[in-house]
Amino acid sequence: MTSSGHINKHNTSPEAEAKALPEGYGNTEAALLPRDPNWMFIYWEITENSRKNTCKQYGEDVFQKGRQVIRVYDVTGGEGRYFDIAVMLEAKSWYINVQEAGRAYCCEVGLVMPDGKFIGLVKTNTVNLPAGRVSDVTDEKWMAVSSDFDKLMQLSGVEYIGKGSGEVAKSLAQRWEMLRAVFSRASSWGVSSMSSQSLQKPEQKKFWLVADCELILYGATEPDAFVTVSGRKVNLNPDGTFSMRFALPDGLVDLPIKAVSKDETDTREIDIKVTRATTTDGK
Amino acid sequence: MANKEKGYLALVLHAHLPFIRHPEYEDFLEEDWFFEAMCETYIPLLDIYERLTAEGTDFRVTMSLTPPLCNMMSDDLLRERFRRYYNLRLELAEKEVVRNRNTGFYEVAKMYERKFRRIRELYEDYYHGRILDGFKKFQDMGKLEIITCGATHGFLPLELRKEAVHAQIKLAADDYRKHFGRGPRGIWLAECAYNPGDDVFLKAQGIRFFFLETHGIIYGSPRPRYGVYAPVYCPSGVAAFGRDMESAQQVWSAETGYPGDQRYREFYRDLGYDLEYDYVKPYLHQDGVRRNIGMKYHKITGKVQLNEKAPYNPGEARDMAASHAGNFMFNRERQIEHLNHFLGKKPIVVSMYDAELYGHWWYEGTDFLEFLFKKVHYDQKTMKMVTPSEYLSMHPDNQVVQPCMSTWGDKGYNEVWLNGTNDWMYRHMHKQVERMVELANRFPNADGTLRRALNQCGRELVLGMSSDWAFLMTVGTAKSYSTKRFVSHTHRFNGLYEQIMGNRLEENWLKELEWKDNIFPEMNYRVFSTEEMEKAARG
Repeated sequence: MTSSGHINKHNTSPEAEAKALPEGYGNTEAALLPRDPNWMFIYWEITENSRKNTCKQYGEDVFQKGRQVIRVYDVTGGEGRYFDIAVMLEAKSWYINVQEAGRAYCCEVGLVMPDGKFIGLVKTNTVNLPAGRVSDVTDEKWMAVSSDFDKLMQLSGVEYIGKGSGEVAKSLAQRWEMLRAVFSRASSWGVSSMSSQSLQKPEQKKFWLVADCELILYGATEPDAFVTVSGRKVNLNPDGTFSMRFALPDGLVDLPIKAVSKDETDTREIDIKVTRATTTDGK
Repeated sequence: MANKEKGYLALVLHAHLPFIRHPEYEDFLEEDWFFEAMCETYIPLLDIYERLTAEGTDFRVTMSLTPPLCNMMSDDLLRERFRRYYNLRLELAEKEVVRNRNTGFYEVAKMYERKFRRIRELYEDYYHGRILDGFKKFQDMGKLEIITCGATHGFLPLELRKEAVHAQIKLAADDYRKHFGRGPRGIWLAECAYNPGDDVFLKAQGIRFFFLETHGIIYGSPRPRYGVYAPVYCPSGVAAFGRDMESAQQVWSAETGYPGDQRYREFYRDLGYDLEYDYVKPYLHQDGVRRNIGMKYHKITGKVQLNEKAPYNPGEARDMAASHAGNFMFNRERQIEHLNHFLGKKPIVVSMYDAELYGHWWYEGTDFLEFLFKKVHYDQKTMKMVTPSEYLSMHPDNQVVQPCMSTWGDKGYNEVWLNGTNDWMYRHMHKQVERMVELANRFPNADGTLRRALNQCGRELVLGMSSDWAFLMTVGTAKSYSTKRFVSHTHRFNGLYEQIMGNRLEENWLKELEWKDNIFPEMNYRVFSTEEMEKAARG
């Protein structure tokens, strides 16, 4: 066999590689990633040390008293608008839905105290989400680039014959969106993912409100354990965490969770019951 | 003669496979992906280029050959194993011609014998095992434009650190220079995934153009005057070409696309399952499990069960490919006439596909391409095939547009590579990038074993960054292999990192990793330093 090395079967160490990935890296940090015009993904790690320091500064019961949230800031052009998403810090990651595409966001995981004060624990990078539609900007600039990149020359005032640019881009966009919807390579991929639909604003009525609610279940165990939720097998991530997202209709949802150790000598069970009751004023 | 045409057609084929090479096993299942693609797509494409050139048919095509692919094509171990692969196939094909002499499968059996003989002839006699030289030959003739891709097909919009973006591009450009004797003029951003601003790192390597999915251009700002039918310049001056969705849809569509024709070869009925077990066993993997071996005797036939498929007729299928090529050309001519009138300018229609669609998934796809090249050359005057470089030298003045973040994946953005099946990867990947940058900054002039360890850190890091792993987790095929690969590169990186920081390098282990993960033999870890990234960003 030819290769830039030698074969030595005793030299390989599979057991070192079979072990699970680290659960954390011992740093308090968070990152925000763009998924599409309306969704972002955040992950975070908050160390025991950071928690202790927070307790030292704000009181031992600060984590019990405070509401655990992700504060989502719209930082476009230095604006400071924000909204909060309630989470458990142990979730360690979350998908964030924003209503406005094409804007810059950053997040801070922290605690909202009963008096309204916000205690930030860790902040993310800023993400610029794509607009997801044809641009409103129609100023045109033209450039000539020589083949060796020596010259980048901005042209101005050059007249081009042709249809208005809006018309071309818009008709192409319509056609592209249509083709995407009917054929897209998704059909052969069978991609299953969480819904990326944001709530639709109902037409006609002037003032409006829509609201819905989903259920996210998450947990962690030994990476090699066998876990079921309501009797269905759950696939664990390599670090032993798992999460599932359910629709949450009105009524009672019972979610018995069971973990069996790899050697089948040990089990743990947690049963979560969730009740949803929705009422509207009917207007 | 000049200027008669009404527009241009640029055919772009993206050839890529993840780096899969396992010297620690005698025989490894996933290495077959590469061997199959060699036999069904890469070598058949070279065969076409050879034939067209010999008969004087001019043609133009743009192809990415990604760094993982170039590294596999030039690797001694994989060359040896590829020879073993096609020699076994040829041996079986020869036996099959005898066995099928008086059956309805005689023609198709002969087809495989011819095919594998030709593969051996091209691989050995023409290119002496160095098929990159074959591609280079056609590039040097000006008929083929080879473009590069991120070092390991890294998915750039989900990187937090620009050092990682710069390293993916710089490693790729250096690897390209080594194989093709000059720098790359164009790049295929993995998954067409573009993050506004990353083009400055392309420019730093002298790369003049890249490709985007349709909406990357038409949602750009300001509005692109000609839609996707003229390239735009990013503010950096790097050109972006947008995908034409009409020609994409014509080939890809599950309902109306060409590959679904009932005369074409059926992918899912394979000799690996059909032949008598003891007879086929020598051609299976060592575990003896029946799997596809890439030889298939049936046609799609229609909506019938696999056991009701009719024998494949190579002549009939080839005629159909010719007719589909004619239809494709006719549609492009009408499209280009229409656009020329509508835009008041010669449009460029950019038809982009995965190269492996042709030959591997759509067996007759390579015939289709050969007919298309011939028909465009001999049968029409409406359009001219061009490479992006040719187009830009003829039309250097273009609109300045900032394209938007986009990919060619399902739904058009990052979800295929960021969802519940694979989002757990990113905290580990980002941590490795952070550590790699830290190492590169901390050791500006390492040598000896430390230098080797730092370079190996770079290899493990980029191997884990392949977008392929996240993709395979999403589609659910080879999920455990892709998970294993990501996890093991992460462990190898973190292990090396800890040994370096603790000043306790185990040279034997380092040697083992160098032997296993040998992509980019010329790796220089300094490519990850903040200083190099900033220098590139300044231009």
